[in-house]
Amino acid sequence: MKKRLYSMVFMFVLTFFFAAVVSAVKVHNEERIQTNQQVKLQRIILAVLGIPLHERATNREVLETFERRVKPIEVKQQTLYVGYAENGKQITAYAFAVGGAGFWGPVYGMVSVDPEASRILGIAFYRHSETPGLGARITEPWFTKQFAGLPLFPVEGDKKIFYLKPAGPGKGPNELDAITGATGTSRAVETFVNRDLDRFLRETWKLVKKG
Amino acid sequence: MPKPLSGSQIFLQGLWNDNPVLRQILGICSTLAVTNLLVNTLVMNAGLIFTVCMSNLTVSILRNYTPMRIRMMAQTLIIASYVIIVDIVIGAYLPDISEALGPYVGLIITNCIVMGRCEAFARNNRPWPSFVDGLAMSLGYAAVLLIIAVIREPLGFGTLFGYRIMPEGFTPWTIMIMAPGAFFTLGLFAWFVRAKFPQTAEEKKQGH
Repeated sequence: MKKRLYSMVFMFVLTFFFAAVVSAVKVHNEERIQTNQQVKLQRIILAVLGIPLHERATNREVLETFERRVKPIEVKQQTLYVGYAENGKQITAYAFAVGGAGFWGPVYGMVSVDPEASRILGIAFYRHSETPGLGARITEPWFTKQFAGLPLFPVEGDKKIFYLKPAGPGKGPNELDAITGATGTSRAVETFVNRDLDRFLRETWKLVKKG
Repeated sequence: MPKPLSGSQIFLQGLWNDNPVLRQILGICSTLAVTNLLVNTLVMNAGLIFTVCMSNLTVSILRNYTPMRIRMMAQTLIIASYVIIVDIVIGAYLPDISEALGPYVGLIITNCIVMGRCEAFARNNRPWPSFVDGLAMSLGYAAVLLIIAVIREPLGFGTLFGYRIMPEGFTPWTIMIMAPGAFFTLGLFAWFVRAKFPQTAEEKKQGH
């Protein structure tokens, strides 16, 4: 009996001690971790909006630029990041989140469109668990650059705004290069980006136009 | 009671004679997962070295107070605490690498090397030798991972530490990026070492 009680007390004290230490470390670093995540998202938003940051911009500089040039607005449950020109008046682009199931796990991205929502300006994927060197290449410039200038329009039936096709010549203007060796990821990106663009055009954009 | 091992003997055991990856075939999961980029491998190694050393030290300090029947529970708690600390610190200071390593930092908890050393060594030895044993074993693990990463990164990405080292026309070997690439690399490497430098009676008998 005494032995059992000792075991329980021992485990209780040990757990209490380590939980306290881990909590202390967590609390101590909480702010830094949150800033990291916030700054990471802001960097992505600035990048797709085409607002330049110099190469070694610190967290503080990112936060300041974001504050000055970007205004988030809520439109029907969707957050739109409105990018402003240097003078702070003229709207240069809108950015919003896209995302869905990738091949291995969820993929998160950010798209920007011009002030008339007639073309895509840029796209970036920032969180995913695709295979490095294969599906993970959705983050590489050669892949994301293809989306710039893509015309946007509401599509009918099972047509899509863009298609990802095997790399090669003889493709239409809305047919982009898929990633060789990552057919699953390419298909997934094609599906959810098309879906989210379509949803934006049909639901959010109407409300933005009305003001 | 066998004579306690000296510091250099412990190191020889961990790095070579009893190398956790090559001889004991432990810690394979992370060996396959995080060796396609050297930077990730280095951070993973640092995390494991810290965890094994500190867990061994703590388990050893508490060895005379820990009731036999609940020692595994206590060890798991100790290991998990150190791993969570590593995970938080990497997330705070190296966010990009933290993302790249994904769940594998957290999975150090289940790395057999950590609990294996607590059970096999720390719980029967004094704190200092236990710490040294942890260091030796984790360095043995780290060395193998680095060797595999040095093979995989250039073949898979054409780079080393992110710098391009392969000639312009080099076609990256996709398989080297994926887990099977590590599987073959590790298999060939372990085979080479065991055939060339046999340790067990069985290995010696088979010859080479």
